[in-house]
Amino acid sequence: MSVHKNDGVRGVILPWVQTLLTVTIFVAMFGAAISSRLFSVIRFESIIHEFDPWFNFRATKYLVSHSFLEFLNWFDDRTWYPLGRVTGGTLYPGLMTTSGAVWHLFRKIGLPIDIRNICVMFAPAFSGVTAWATYQFTKEIKDSSAGLLAGAFMAIVPGYISRSVAGSYDNEAIAITLLMVTFMFWIKAQKRGSILYAALTALFYFYMVSAWGGYVFITNLIPLHIFILILMGRYNSKLYAAYTTWYAIGTLASMQIPFVGFLPIRSNDHMAALGVFGLIQIVAFGNFIKSQVPSEKFKIVMVVSLLVILGVGVAGLFTLTYMGFIAPWTGRFYSLWDTNYAKIHIPIIASVSEHQPVAWPAFFFDTHFLIWLFPAGVFLLFLELKDEHVFVIAYSVLCSYFAGVMIRLMLTLTPVICVAAAVTLSKLFDIYLNFSKDEKKLDYSSLLSRLVVSGSFIYYLYLFVFHSTWVTRIAYSSPSVVLPSTTSDGRPALIDDFREAYYWLRMNTDEDAKVAAWWDYGYQIGGMADRTTLVDNNTWNNTHIAIVGKAMSSPEWKSYQIFKQHDVDYVLVIFGGVLGFSGDDINKFLWMIRISEGIWPDEIKERDFFTSSNEYRVDSRATKTMKESLLYKMSYKDFPALFKGQGQDKVRGQAISAADVEPLDYFEEVFTSENWLVRIYQLRDEDPEGRDLHDVGLFERNTKSARKRNSKKPSLEMRV
Amino acid sequence: MLRSFIVALLTFAALANARCVQGSRTLVIYDERLSVLDNYSNLFNSMRERDYTLDFISVANETSSLQLFKGENKIYDNLMVFPIKGKTLNKHVSGKSLLQFSLAGGNVLAVSSPESLSDPVRLFLNQLGIYPSPKDYRLVDHFQKSSDGIRIGTDGLKNRFVYKPYDEEEDFFITNSSVAILDNREQLVPILVAPRTSYASGKGKDLWVSGSQGYLVVGFQALNNARTAWVGSPEFLSNSNHQSNGILAKELTKWTFKEKGVIKTNGFRHSHIDGTSYEEAPYKIKDAVNYEVSFSEWNGEEWQPFEATDIQFELKMLDPYYRLNLIPSHRDETYQWYTTGDFRLPDHHGVFTFQVDYKRAGLSLVSVSDVKAIRHLAHDEYPRSWEITNARVYISGIFAVIFAWVLFVIFFVSTSKTTKNFNTEKKNN
Repeated sequence: MSVHKNDGVRGVILPWVQTLLTVTIFVAMFGAAISSRLFSVIRFESIIHEFDPWFNFRATKYLVSHSFLEFLNWFDDRTWYPLGRVTGGTLYPGLMTTSGAVWHLFRKIGLPIDIRNICVMFAPAFSGVTAWATYQFTKEIKDSSAGLLAGAFMAIVPGYISRSVAGSYDNEAIAITLLMVTFMFWIKAQKRGSILYAALTALFYFYMVSAWGGYVFITNLIPLHIFILILMGRYNSKLYAAYTTWYAIGTLASMQIPFVGFLPIRSNDHMAALGVFGLIQIVAFGNFIKSQVPSEKFKIVMVVSLLVILGVGVAGLFTLTYMGFIAPWTGRFYSLWDTNYAKIHIPIIASVSEHQPVAWPAFFFDTHFLIWLFPAGVFLLFLELKDEHVFVIAYSVLCSYFAGVMIRLMLTLTPVICVAAAVTLSKLFDIYLNFSKDEKKLDYSSLLSRLVVSGSFIYYLYLFVFHSTWVTRIAYSSPSVVLPSTTSDGRPALIDDFREAYYWLRMNTDEDAKVAAWWDYGYQIGGMADRTTLVDNNTWNNTHIAIVGKAMSSPEWKSYQIFKQHDVDYVLVIFGGVLGFSGDDINKFLWMIRISEGIWPDEIKERDFFTSSNEYRVDSRATKTMKESLLYKMSYKDFPALFKGQGQDKVRGQAISAADVEPLDYFEEVFTSENWLVRIYQLRDEDPEGRDLHDVGLFERNTKSARKRNSKKPSLEMRV
Repeated sequence: MLRSFIVALLTFAALANARCVQGSRTLVIYDERLSVLDNYSNLFNSMRERDYTLDFISVANETSSLQLFKGENKIYDNLMVFPIKGKTLNKHVSGKSLLQFSLAGGNVLAVSSPESLSDPVRLFLNQLGIYPSPKDYRLVDHFQKSSDGIRIGTDGLKNRFVYKPYDEEEDFFITNSSVAILDNREQLVPILVAPRTSYASGKGKDLWVSGSQGYLVVGFQALNNARTAWVGSPEFLSNSNHQSNGILAKELTKWTFKEKGVIKTNGFRHSHIDGTSYEEAPYKIKDAVNYEVSFSEWNGEEWQPFEATDIQFELKMLDPYYRLNLIPSHRDETYQWYTTGDFRLPDHHGVFTFQVDYKRAGLSLVSVSDVKAIRHLAHDEYPRSWEITNARVYISGIFAVIFAWVLFVIFFVSTSKTTKNFNTEKKNN
């Protein structure tokens, strides 16, 4: 906007003023982007957030304490016990290597910074770059004033902040930056037909591949762009140069990432890019022929060859997929089209909250007034419909759908919302903030309407900033490791049970103790407690997760056998009944049951956990299976006693009485955190005398009945 | 008399060099109304000869203080319980405390008789899976020639580690005995089984057991290696039957109080076959390694190499990937080393357990395990492309393309000036 106000100024100082203003704006943008992401550090502390970041952090620590090659070949024997994880070959190393490089750089220039602080500040630092890349991108789409608006939006839009606050050391922190840089270079490349820009696109595409699994989005969007342009009859040699350069270099480069490997030529997700690569060769060849033969003949040639190619291509794809040369679509891909697919076939994907469909208010919450400028922007681009506009339109249509299906993909939609909204707004301001002198006479009604329109939009902008700040502060700055709360007299307090428990594990258990917990907490246990886990958030082995689910939902003796077989020493459960923390294990229990039912349908049945009236109950009306399950016993052990016999579960809103909770015989409570959020149980040793631990428990609890019963002849199996 | 006896014994004990691995402080609980100690002098004397410190406490004497523990520590290593009149041993010694004594590693030799089976002893034995016949049940066998007792040949002996008869013609003589039924837990070590034609019943009561499901002498070895033995009749150990049962009784006390059947390991080692340890070079898949473990046996006086042919090594990750019979390698004065020989680790990365779990009825339990990760091949440990003959086609393809491209560029650059018009035209298309 500021640039526009100075449009009227003439003279030699104009470029200087413009540069100064641009620099000031960019500095302000960086400042806004970074400072708004620091709420989490200010309100809480400099800490790694949530779940996945803990793994990234741990991997980064490994990287800076070992060589890069050791990192690449890292076999992690402290997760997925006893399978272990070929971590070096199953992660996207872009994030870790970048922060490792930053760490080394700072050390080289005499600023040894703790790796944790680099990791915490990583996302805010890169958000500034994202804003700049969005500026460049939008500048190619419209002009620099739209670019500045888009950059400013991008800097503070909550949809992006949600994954990039300080401490949110996740792949997305760098991936969105790379996404925008790649798109920016792509637009430049296809506009100019520049091999240099196409090569840069490929380079950043490679960086993106190394950083986030969402790279597949680029892999499909760029071919889609080309494909649409070809269908629109807009093929030209610029497109050919840009696309082939990008595809050749980008694909070869992406195959260098161990985790990706041969996927680009074997997986269906990548087939579109390969197909378009083939298509563009044919189109180029067709174009060449077109210039050589008369047009009537060419039409026949074209129709016939198109049909043949299409038939051969589709048949080939089917055969190769059928014969197993091309990997079929992944489950996450199917769930993009059929929202019920995951729920039926792959409960583990559906169990992740970020794979759930988005609630509509979330769009407004995450982007405020940009969401209704977004369609207008797309429409405006439609009116003009240059080649690069097709890209933005394709991007926005695809992503709007995906974001509606999977809340996590809101993140990829946010940039295009910013771009389209910025286009709308700058178009609006182009007209309504244009007070230039060409109109001689002063028209008061026109002036008034301009003032009203631009005034109200400036007010909206103010509201947007206000909303963004508020959302960032309230919703997106919580580390989720530490929970904010208020004391009874209203003062803010922190609930620090997770760290209390993890610290307890770290200080009180053997260094090679194995801790079983639901996979959500795997990364945190690995990162904070530094103990071996059975399953973690890298959900690569459904069966192994199902084993833990089975143990949690089975009766004690069965769970004990399962855990013993896996050398487990401790079991950790999250229980929110005292505090009212709804994300606890009892609420996740149905997923555990569903996932293990998928593997052992004869042993675990979801139906058995519901009462006859189809209710999910935990009080005295809970089913026998429910009350016998390990998780139930572990969650509610001694809970009624805490409230003198009748405990009110604050999450489920049901009353648990002492008679509902049967005693634990095979497990021993060793730790319960201050607010009962985390409870840790140790597996008892096997009884040296060879008795069932349940019998031991009975014997310890009641000697008298044991004495009476035993005076009769026991019914024993024949001894062999 | 008894008191001076104990004093003498205690002084003796101070000089003694114990024969049992664990300790020789032994408490004998008896009831002077039922048992006369002199009847068992042969047994006790042989124990004394083997340097046991014997304390005798009669529960008939109310004032006698009977304590198994002082604080948390047990006062005695071994406990012998003779039949007691009445239901309880003593207010300090319950079934629970007997169990506690065993859980703390103490060895117990319990003797009961058809006349008396005190509640604590029964409760304790029941917890171990030994169910002696109740009061007034006796073992009878109408197929035996003599009516005063039952003779059992060596085929009644069930465990060679407890007692391996020298003479196959040996007979054991049983009179007035209870009999126990056992459950199927693996810690039980049956020692002497009742004849096939015998049965146990009381007066007008149901059958307790019949045939070889009944046991007269039973051993038990807990996972903590504490041992317990039960004998169904005090007469079995008495001087009057010394002729026939003396050796078995002696060997039984030896086994129960850990003079025999005790083995241990001094540890294990495993490494690459060239001797490089895991710490120097962690294992990767398909590495050749070997594993060794040592075994030693207590012969009553010292540790000596233990010989066996059935020791197995397991390499497992959830399931065993290898189960190898160990072969003896070298030995020294104390230990016999067993080795797997060289073997190749499985072609599967993961966290594996190297384990020897040697559990045989009658021998103390030895289990050693080591959890080690076996990593995958690193990026530079695969064969290089030119080493794979199949790949040479592709390699030559690559170089052919590179060569052709260079040629093309050379020709293109050198010939482009003359055909400039054609080139620009083509670009415009």
